[in-house]
This record gives sequence, structure tokens and C-alpha cells, in this order.
Amino acid sequence: MNCHEATTRVAAHADGELDGVQRRAVEKHLAACPSCAEAHQRILALRARLQSEVTYHKAPEALRARIAEQARPARRAREPRWRWLSLGALAGCAATVLAFFVTTAMVEHRAVDDLAVEAVGAHVRATLSQHVIEVASSDQHTVKPWLSARLDYSPPVPRLDASGFVLTGGRLDYLDKQRVAVLVYRYRDHVIDVFVRPATARPPAMPLRTLRGFNIAHARGADMDWLAVSDVSADVLVPFVEALAAAR
Amino acid sequence: MNVHPSPETGRLSDHQRFEELVLPHLDAAYNLARWLARDAHDAEDVVQDACMRALRYVGSLHGSDARPWFLTIVRRAFYDWLARNRPAEVVHDDLAIDQAVDHSVPGPEQALMRSDDARALSDALAELPLPYREVLILRELESLSYKEIARVADIPIGTVMSRLARARGLLQRSPLLRAVAEPGGAQR
Repeated sequence: MNCHEATTRVAAHADGELDGVQRRAVEKHLAACPSCAEAHQRILALRARLQSEVTYHKAPEALRARIAEQARPARRAREPRWRWLSLGALAGCAATVLAFFVTTAMVEHRAVDDLAVEAVGAHVRATLSQHVIEVASSDQHTVKPWLSARLDYSPPVPRLDASGFVLTGGRLDYLDKQRVAVLVYRYRDHVIDVFVRPATARPPAMPLRTLRGFNIAHARGADMDWLAVSDVSADVLVPFVEALAAAR
Repeated sequence: MNVHPSPETGRLSDHQRFEELVLPHLDAAYNLARWLARDAHDAEDVVQDACMRALRYVGSLHGSDARPWFLTIVRRAFYDWLARNRPAEVVHDDLAIDQAVDHSVPGPEQALMRSDDARALSDALAELPLPYREVLILRELESLSYKEIARVADIPIGTVMSRLARARGLLQRSPLLRAVAEPGGAQR
């Protein structure tokens, strides 16, 4: 073996890629050739430094927890339903009637219902972690490009200031295991999250829903599905989400 | 929008598979994403996206090679993220890569100040062009074989070897850490 042949094999040897016969041939050459032996040493020295001096970045605990949480949509979706039903029993007649509607709707539109549960979960998580807004701006020309750059679609960002709904910013969230745009509006003292994503083939068939004290309203327009979640009353939320979907 | 297999048992087993096979490699995923993106927050975005993809495709994962499989997804998620957020950094040909090296290397006086510092190595590694940085991270920090690197980086094994050689040469010759290049460097 000459040095020219040896060059790549020296690296392969240092990387543990050679079988017994090839390894012995390279070792024989290294014993006889100081310059190849030095090249070999340099690779090992660089590796030792990389493994001891360079930071190995371990996943932050918060990220690990978030991912573990997101990997369990089935369990997460069942839990609030239980809580809701037990609350309904306590709250008496009105709640029982509502529970009837919710349960009926669940049987008919399970996927849609899971979406509502997920949206409320995301809204609550964002509020509790004070992570509602990632891009703070009342300017649709700031919010829209920020979201478009992080998604594979470009959500419309309408302004409805005249009706008292003030755009305050946006963030990314997850719905149905997909990244979605969330527009954040303020109405008096209430925060309204609006999940916007391209309209799916399945008809959404999602009327107003109430879960854990939050209202969820849906509308479709501009080729998007608009899902608004807030603690504002239904007679405010429904016209709002319909106005968003109709805005141009 | 995405696949909704109706029997819940099928989905549950996907989630279990994800937890058992993929989650144990979260540190490797984050380390790769962190070295590629060079920013903690961006790396979290990339890993989160990669996990969602892994969850969706975990059904196609067979055998014991979960780590290279997952790192392949992390790398793809990173390049998608890069194209969306820093399209200017997506370089394709080797000439552009070489020019990037020349521009990113600091002047000699800076190098003198930092050559003895352990941080200099991290800096030099972070400044390697992406195609070289990724193969070196996969080999030296993740200890993947040539075959696994070829799979993760989607290149032939011959290219893995030439890029590794190039990456090592660039680091050893980097003005940021002359100490490694010099013969005495090995004993440091």
C-alpha cells in the first residue's frame, strides 16, 4: 500500500470502518510511514477534542415535556370530556341539556370534537404559560409574513377594529398534529384565539360548542377553516368568526 | 389534512412506538438540530416539527435503527425550516461552500486571541459550512457509521468520506485553532 492509497483508508481506519484484513494492511502501513501515522493521530486528536470540549446539547426538559404531551392526543382528549361530564351532573339541568348536545355531537362528529378539545387545550396552555403571542403587532403586514414564513400556507390576517376586535399578534400552535397559525385578537378584556388553516376536504359541520367554559365557533371562508376559541359570549364570537371568514 | 385511521388501537400503538423507539433519541435529535441551526429556540422548533413527522410515520419504522431514522427526519425538518426562514443560507455547489468558508473565518489577530480557548473549537465547528458540519456532527458526536450518515444526509458513502475528510481538514487548518493542526496539538 502506498500513501496515495492509504489516505482514505487511514480515515476509514480511524472511523472503525475497516474489516480485519484491511485493518491489518493499514496498520502495517502506519507503522512504516510517519506522515500517514501523523494524519491518523490528527484525526484521533481532533475527535478527542470534539468529544471533550464541544458542548453536546441535551434536549431541554420543557421541550421533552411538551413533546411527550403532544404524543398523547388520545389520552388528553378523553380527560376533559370526563371532567366536563362530571361538572355537568353537578351543575344541574341546563348543563345536562348542554351535555346532551355535546355528547350527541361527539358521536356524530368525533373528529371535529377532538379538534375543539385540542383547540381549547392549546388556548388554555398558551394562556397559562403566558405564551399567547409570539409576534406582537396590530399590523397585519407584520403578523402575516411572520406566520407565512413558518408555515406551508399563508393565512389571511383580517382587521376588524371597527367592530371592537383588535388584532394583537399571532403565534404558531399545533392542531391535529399540524402546525397552524393562531391569530390573537382582543375584545374588551377578552383574548380570542383564532386557529386558521387550509380548509379540509371533510365538511367541518361544526356549530357553536362550549367546552370547559370556553366557546368555540367555526366558519369557513377564503379557502380556510377558522376556529375561534374564547371566553367571550357566543353571540359575540359567532358573528366575529363569520366576519373573519368573510373578510377580504 | 392528514390521515385519520379510525380504529383508536392503531393510533395508540403508534404513540406507544413513538414513546418507546423515538423519544429515547430526543437528546441526539436536539443536539443535531442545535448544531445545524446554531440557535436554541430555532432548534426547538425544528425538533418539535421533526417529532410530529416522526409520530405520523412511526408505522414505517422497523427494526433497531430508530436513531438514524429519527435523525434523518430531524435533518429534513431542519432543511425545510431553513428554506422557509433563511433561504439565503441554502447553498448547493461546492464553490459557494468554499467561499462561505473564506468569509466566515476571522482575521489572524482574532485567531491569536482565541486559539488556546476550548471555545475556539466550538466556534470553528459552528462556522463550518452545513454539508461539512452535519457529517462531522453525525460522525464524531453521534458516532454514526458511514452507512448511517449516508442515509441520514442522503448522499453516497463516497461523498460521506470526502466530506468528512474536508470537514476535518477545514477544522485542523482553521485559524481559530492552529493548535490542533500543529504536530504538538495532538498531545494537548
